[in-house]
Amino acid sequence: MNEEKNILQDLTQQTYKEGFVTEVEQEYVPKGLSEDIIRMISAKKQEPDWLLEFRLDAFRRWQKMEEPRWGHLTLPKIDFQDIIYYAAPKKDADRPKEIDPELEKTFEKLGIPLREREALAGVVAVDAVFDSVSVTTTFRKTLAEKGIIFCSFSEAVREHPDLVRKYLASVVPVGDNYYATLNSAVFSDGSFCYIPKGVHCPMDLSSYFRINASGTGQFERTLIIADEGASVSYMEGCTAPMRDENQLHAAVVEIIVEKDADVRYSTVQNWYPGDAEGRGGILNLVTKRGICRGSGSHLSWTQVETGSAITWKYPSTILQGDNSSSEFYSVAVTNNLQQADTGTKMIHIGSNTRSRIVSKGISAGRSENSYRGLVRMNRSAAGARNFSQCDSLLIGSRCGAHTFPDIRSACPTATVEHEATTSKISEDQLFYCNQRGISPEDAVGLIVNGYARDVLSRLPMEFAVEAQKLLQVSLEGSVG
Amino acid sequence: MSEILLEIKNLHATVGEKEILKGVDLVIRRGEVHAVMGPNGAGKSTLSAVLTGRPDYVVTEGSVRYAGKDLLAMSPEERSWAGMFLSFQYPIEIPGVSITNFMKSAVNARRKAAGLPELKPAEFLKLLKEKMAFVGM
Repeated sequence: MNEEKNILQDLTQQTYKEGFVTEVEQEYVPKGLSEDIIRMISAKKQEPDWLLEFRLDAFRRWQKMEEPRWGHLTLPKIDFQDIIYYAAPKKDADRPKEIDPELEKTFEKLGIPLREREALAGVVAVDAVFDSVSVTTTFRKTLAEKGIIFCSFSEAVREHPDLVRKYLASVVPVGDNYYATLNSAVFSDGSFCYIPKGVHCPMDLSSYFRINASGTGQFERTLIIADEGASVSYMEGCTAPMRDENQLHAAVVEIIVEKDADVRYSTVQNWYPGDAEGRGGILNLVTKRGICRGSGSHLSWTQVETGSAITWKYPSTILQGDNSSSEFYSVAVTNNLQQADTGTKMIHIGSNTRSRIVSKGISAGRSENSYRGLVRMNRSAAGARNFSQCDSLLIGSRCGAHTFPDIRSACPTATVEHEATTSKISEDQLFYCNQRGISPEDAVGLIVNGYARDVLSRLPMEFAVEAQKLLQVSLEGSVG
Repeated sequence: MSEILLEIKNLHATVGEKEILKGVDLVIRRGEVHAVMGPNGAGKSTLSAVLTGRPDYVVTEGSVRYAGKDLLAMSPEERSWAGMFLSFQYPIEIPGVSITNFMKSAVNARRKAAGLPELKPAEFLKLLKEKMAFVGM
């Protein structure tokens, strides 16, 4: 029995191939959270006073707030004094501009090129974040020639303070929710991206988030601005080592889409999900929101969520500009003891605004998978339309799938449609595949990828291939 | 006479509580064609389901040897690799998976089991075209 358990453990751990630790010297701020700690983080980042004040204001508000408990989740008690809020690999004092070879190796192992010549024909520009700092951002110069700013958030604060100040917290206010407010107090690094008027970004932009140090939390802050008529495709990926402890990732992403601009935001979320017994894993408590400010603007969210012990995440769009539109395409997979409560909010303010929600939940093992969504039609949203489709796929008989759709319409000319299905992978489908020589694991992969096709086909090419493999890997051991 | 390919001895099988096969004996030699006939409910489908390893069909007695091996000890996909093919009365649809993609997965799974390299998409499409021409599609 014991041996059998070990074999099982080996198998489940093997499946998370990004679970290694990088041995690198790091500097930390002391454990715990206080105004002093926040001052320390701000000083380390050499921030201007207004940003320190922004942080302290958030911290004071946060202390009066309570953790939200409305999610269909069993959240462990988080001791916020037992977390290290800043960890950064030490720089070589003699060569501060160089990337530590260990870090380079780490990102190489993860398939993230930190050197421009290695990126094939410059397809993707990367901002690589390791714990609390950005290691490097590639193709900055190439992009700057078009007036595009793509850099770490910390650099943006130093080099483009006016832009940061103008847009920071303009979509997710400081007091928005417990985790967003915490993020506003202690955020470390993330990406900053500005596409000027009329510019189509010539390559995909991407950020890669890596948690490495133990006992730390990661507080990503990302800001994307597409000015009038601009367009950009942005991708985000993330991984972490395997540990028995839970680690917190509380991010805030804000996206501003001006008149006729187009932003496509894709995520492949592959944080460490914990082991088969539910030990460890990332607590992914994230606020992502965009605003379609100008008329005719467009924002699309595509997410593939396979990782994290707990996911609490609702990428949302405020459709303010007339004729603006937004989509949310999501595949959320939970296996073993993972829990996910994820969905979107589409807030229709402008007239003739359109939104589309396609959510595909897949639950296996003893996991719990919930879709939670809000579609709101304000009085002003004349002629607005929404279509929502929420499907759940169950594998095995011990998991749960839940749907919590919330539809509020104050506009007599708005149209809202909602469709939902729940299905199981049938024995017949599996046997059919097996009889044609396809193993049970591969069969589940085939069936699940078919089920999620509508979403996967929305991903940029290089992401789609990875996502397909990931879907299969994260469901390993779920049948048989 | 050629060698024995399939040898079924005193095969008993149940579905749920009900015994459907009550001692089937059959010997098929390489190269022979057999048709199993009988009225509705005689157990023709059950026999093919048991031979291909469909779940929920429980063998309670007897043995089946196929090409010198114990067929009942093999998984459904292993039986498939060994050459057992079941033509489904009601073919199953897998939503979102095209027939081309499904066949490619099946062909490559079999090639992998035989130690052959998997076919690349272009190679598979070429093979598919040949086969389609062969059956006049």
